[in-house]
Amino acid sequence: MRRGATTRRRRRAILATAAALVPAVAPGTARALDFDFTPARVEASLTSDDNVTRAGGSDALRDTIFGVRASKGLLLPVTQRTRAIVQGFLGGEKFQKYDGLSHNFIGAQADIQFRSSGDFGSATYSAFLRTQAEYYQSTLRDGYRHAYGVTVLKPLTDRVTFLGALQQNISDGKSTVFDTQNTALRANFDWSLSTWNTFYFGAEYRKGDFVSTACRTCDPNKTLGLVNTATPNIIEDDAFTDVVRDAYRLKANIIVATLGYNRAFSSGQSLDLSWRRATSSLSQSAVAPATKSDFAYTVNQYSLAYLVRF
Amino acid sequence: MRPFGVLDDPRRRILIQALAAGFFSSAGSAAAQIFGRSPGPLPAGQSIYRVSGTVSVNSQPATLQTRIKPGDTVETAPNGEVVFAVAEEAFLLRGGSRMVIETPPPRSGLVTAMRLVTGKVLSVFGKGRPTRILTATSTIGIRGTGVYAETDPEQTYFCTCYGVADVTATNDPTSKQTVVATHHDNPLYILAKGKEGAAIRKAPFINHTDQELMLIESLVGRTPPFVFPMENYNAPRRDYP
Repeated sequence: MRRGATTRRRRRAILATAAALVPAVAPGTARALDFDFTPARVEASLTSDDNVTRAGGSDALRDTIFGVRASKGLLLPVTQRTRAIVQGFLGGEKFQKYDGLSHNFIGAQADIQFRSSGDFGSATYSAFLRTQAEYYQSTLRDGYRHAYGVTVLKPLTDRVTFLGALQQNISDGKSTVFDTQNTALRANFDWSLSTWNTFYFGAEYRKGDFVSTACRTCDPNKTLGLVNTATPNIIEDDAFTDVVRDAYRLKANIIVATLGYNRAFSSGQSLDLSWRRATSSLSQSAVAPATKSDFAYTVNQYSLAYLVRF
Repeated sequence: MRPFGVLDDPRRRILIQALAAGFFSSAGSAAAQIFGRSPGPLPAGQSIYRVSGTVSVNSQPATLQTRIKPGDTVETAPNGEVVFAVAEEAFLLRGGSRMVIETPPPRSGLVTAMRLVTGKVLSVFGKGRPTRILTATSTIGIRGTGVYAETDPEQTYFCTCYGVADVTATNDPTSKQTVVATHHDNPLYILAKGKEGAAIRKAPFINHTDQELMLIESLVGRTPPFVFPMENYNAPRRDYP
């Protein structure tokens, strides 16, 4: 189930790196071509995740994750009502217990945006394409993650802003078990209590592939059901070393709800507290002795992030 | 037989009594306070679009019904904020501020004048309407402009969000600068005490947003000259992995 490194992959890695570095190394070019830079953003986060294996019952493992992410982009006016944004980003996540899941990433995103006027309530429509390379402490998950889709951002009132998105997510891991595709439909509402205080509520429906990791020997009956259902998309997961665990790629429907609070300290700094809960249910047939409930799981992520823009 | 207009269903009776008492309009008003509303030109006779916390006009508590006109003094407590319009001008006055909408001197050629005694105000002015702004440390002449100012006895922060502004330091008339801006291009600090000719310094872009400019422009039926607001929301919008 492993694929060797290919020239195609190396070329894509070079392209992703180059795209991420363009904003940093080419300010002179940007000025010459009438670009504007977007502010640099840096965020540091601490997340408690109660199910890093994305599995049910006793297979759910808890971990704490420290993350950093930095991004910088440039704005390219196309017409008065249309603009393009190209952004490079890089970062990493460090898992406290399951270090095989720790990883670094580098990537780029391009957006094309349209807004009909400067009216307060005018919506901003956007189409985007994002690609990133990911390098894990373990091997099988190494690869690429891509997303493309459309978004609409609209102030509903002077306190509430709506963000809707429809996007396709594609991951391309070293192991085909980690080659996944899913479609996500997302709605988010930002509710500003004042200039500095914003609550946000998000709901997302996701349909497609997901990977779940479960202990091989803990419950032989459950393992048999997982194997029967997921075959041939199974591999021994090298990110976990406590016991032998296998990763299974399955079809599922996932509902993600997010509740957050953002407290800005100035125009460029904020502290963000959020809770995200994901609930997954199998959308393919479960093969005996497994039942669909064997594949159901929930994830709770509590996150504290500090963000700075300059 | 029941007389016409007498209801026997107690739920309908309560509903009609609630409607008569204006329950739903006050509930709507409370909802607007919590969830906001879509801004647009203010109806004739209304000056204030939004008021929160402690705000006074000429030392009287301000409500949505309070009229504001030239000559009035508007003041906000630290917890207060008021968004209002006077003629073709619109303002967002932040907490801990005091400003006077002045009546322009006769034959001055000015249409509007305002004095920001202390605090922070975002303002937009109609095209072709010469305006003078006085702050604790500066005198600013503008025309058809959006500006943001913060002032205290030591210094004034002044951002010409768009348009043209002639900025002069009050204590040093040799310190002056004309700013032509399209999108917050040249924010300034104007110092109370500075070297002669050097009381005006460059400043960063702080404490106001394009969304606020769009909001107050909409109260007087205009839109700002830019289409895309600068990004100011600073929350992570991470995807679920």
